[in-house]
Amino acid sequence: MQNVKINPYQYLVLVIFFTVGTGILIVPSALAAEAKQDAWIAAIVGIGISMLVIWLFTTIALWFPHLTYIQINEKVFGKWIGKTVSVLFVIMATYYTSSLLYYSATFVTTNMMPNTPLVALHILMIGIVVMGIRLGLETIARSAEILIVVFVALFLILAVFISPQIKFENLQPVYEVGTKMIFQSSIYLVSSSSVNAIVLLMIFPVFINKVKQARKSFIIGHLIGGIFIFLLTFLGVSVLGAEDTARQIYPGYELAKRISVGDFVQRIEGLMGSLWFIALYFKTVLYFYASVLGITQILNLRDYRPLTLPLGMLAVILALVIYPNVVYQKVVEQSIEIFFSVFIGLFLPLVLAIVYAFRKNKFKQEPDSS
Amino acid sequence: MMKKCILILLVLTLFLSGCWDRRELNELSITMALGIDKVKNEYLVSAQVIVPSEVSMQASSGRSAVTLYQASGETVYEAFRKMTKDAPRKIYPGHLRILVISEELAKEGISESLDLLARDWELRSDFYVVIAKDLTASEVLNVTTPIESIPANKMFNALKTSERIWAATEGVILDDLLTNLTSDGKEAVLTGIKVIGDKELGSSKQNVESITPSTRIQYDHLGVFKEDRLVGWLTEDEGRGYSDITDTVEKTVTAISCPKGGKIAIEIFDFDSTIKGSINKGEPEVDIHIQAKGNVGEVQCSIDLTKPESMNEIQKIYEKEMKELIEQTINTVQSQYESDIFGFGEAIHRSNPKEWKEMKEHWDEKFANLTVHVHVEMKDLRIGTLNNSFLRKIED
Repeated sequence: MQNVKINPYQYLVLVIFFTVGTGILIVPSALAAEAKQDAWIAAIVGIGISMLVIWLFTTIALWFPHLTYIQINEKVFGKWIGKTVSVLFVIMATYYTSSLLYYSATFVTTNMMPNTPLVALHILMIGIVVMGIRLGLETIARSAEILIVVFVALFLILAVFISPQIKFENLQPVYEVGTKMIFQSSIYLVSSSSVNAIVLLMIFPVFINKVKQARKSFIIGHLIGGIFIFLLTFLGVSVLGAEDTARQIYPGYELAKRISVGDFVQRIEGLMGSLWFIALYFKTVLYFYASVLGITQILNLRDYRPLTLPLGMLAVILALVIYPNVVYQKVVEQSIEIFFSVFIGLFLPLVLAIVYAFRKNKFKQEPDSS
Repeated sequence: MMKKCILILLVLTLFLSGCWDRRELNELSITMALGIDKVKNEYLVSAQVIVPSEVSMQASSGRSAVTLYQASGETVYEAFRKMTKDAPRKIYPGHLRILVISEELAKEGISESLDLLARDWELRSDFYVVIAKDLTASEVLNVTTPIESIPANKMFNALKTSERIWAATEGVILDDLLTNLTSDGKEAVLTGIKVIGDKELGSSKQNVESITPSTRIQYDHLGVFKEDRLVGWLTEDEGRGYSDITDTVEKTVTAISCPKGGKIAIEIFDFDSTIKGSINKGEPEVDIHIQAKGNVGEVQCSIDLTKPESMNEIQKIYEKEMKELIEQTINTVQSQYESDIFGFGEAIHRSNPKEWKEMKEHWDEKFANLTVHVHVEMKDLRIGTLNNSFLRKIED
């Protein structure tokens, strides 16, 4: 398992997908709800803060270039505290896997197939997720490499075809809501795209062949993902207006619906739907990979593959029960989940960094064994 | 072995083509026009549904191309579904082109009846919304039309074309309507639609068999809304003024007076207007800048078009008359309706967000006394294919 290696470019692509993932679907709406027409500024601020968080992650990970996050926990905190922290981490990764299943399924049932039971869509999605994980990280990375082309192409089509409808009046007056509100609303973006990126420390830097470049691709990948989110927020507010962006559950999809170039290129939102599916799929895979590999390493198992199927079933069941409805999900995601993410994805790594600072010398003396 | 497995799996996918959400074309009735009326506290929804066999390329049997289903209910959705008591297929609104709301309902308020249309996943909000003037929505949907055998198409295209090259009508799609209804600094307008002639005769096929159909559908003036209630109608000229101010004019034809009596018609082919808000001594003010490019389309007076001075003169007259028209439009709306349909409030919001916050609560009163400066400039003036009109020769 340890000899699996992906290259920095593949990692970059995975980071882009992870950052964009859910963000591209609902972040514009969440930002516009509070920051109004300044949502796009909030997006920039959010991305700025995110970059700091990612920098922290890479720094921690590079202290131990041969360990995954779970193993770092054990090394720094000691066996039992380390395992406890890791268990929390795995719970988070599993929870978000289910949460994303719920996302993709509700997206389909609201916009395209209202009569299809959620569980059928969950099973379809988890089916390919489990399949991907069983085939291994390299397969996932390679398919990401191919699908990023599709993703970027679709995104460009969306952006170019909707751009004639941009109304700059919708962005005015600029900076009306004030600094406080902008920062406040950007927190959601930070939590969903960068704080949760802690799960990527299960890949970085252990499974990447050029560690030095990998750090760069982590940061650049995150920036590129952030630019996608910024562009979509900008398009949302300038085309739909702040009010409507906030009112829509899926503003990005609404944008795709509005595309109409010369009464000819229109009604292409079904095609555009794959944009979100590609991103959602990879984000789900990365969460699921973190939870499967996490459990394997906590329990010191040799192979993670036997765990994929049972954990996949668990994720489906969880996805059916965590949210009673979309409204509940929206509320939870903008309150409890933010604290949950920040606690596990930001607070604990910070504690880890502090502990590391105190015990630094001890680690320096004994070279990495694993 | 592997190949066989894949083959079997591939065959199995044939059975997977959408189990829960499959919809066959022959199980759907496509509606392109909906009408909403209010009858005794219930919504009466009418759907103009296409008869597929009549619009197909193969010889039709001569029956009407559309048919009308109606049902009433306490909510629009309920009424919509109730139609299946009459309609043999489920009515599919995904291709909706036009929504007609009766004047009576518009006067009571339209927002409640619009939520379904914005929320439902099958609908896309790019259809026009119009008001049936002096009659019910179902009466409008009950008229056959020549050229376009589907009346909904005729209504859609007529509005689209007249908005583009005539400009006194306004094609308002649901998105724009909702934006205006929810905006603090802009009120909505909707174009009126009316039926001329005998309403009874209009629904029969004979109506379109004569050269001049005895009953026809025609767009009328713009209706002014205050919040979500219809409060009155603009005249044709005021409707133009509205389009001029809000920059929805693409092309139009305007008749102006000659210096020595008579008329000149000018075709405007490029038109641009911007609204700028400002605060002057604590009071809001609005500046409208208009730039037009035109073409002398028709001359009915003796003016010497070979002289540059007369070109200047025409431009001056156009600018003056345009200014008057716009000022008169604003005056009427300010004094009669006190409803900011032009979006002056939004202009103030954009330019002075702080002051706007204080005045938005009582914007209607502010709007009624708002000072508006109008600046019109005609830039490029062309004269068509003739120099001087032959009228000059004849009159001499």
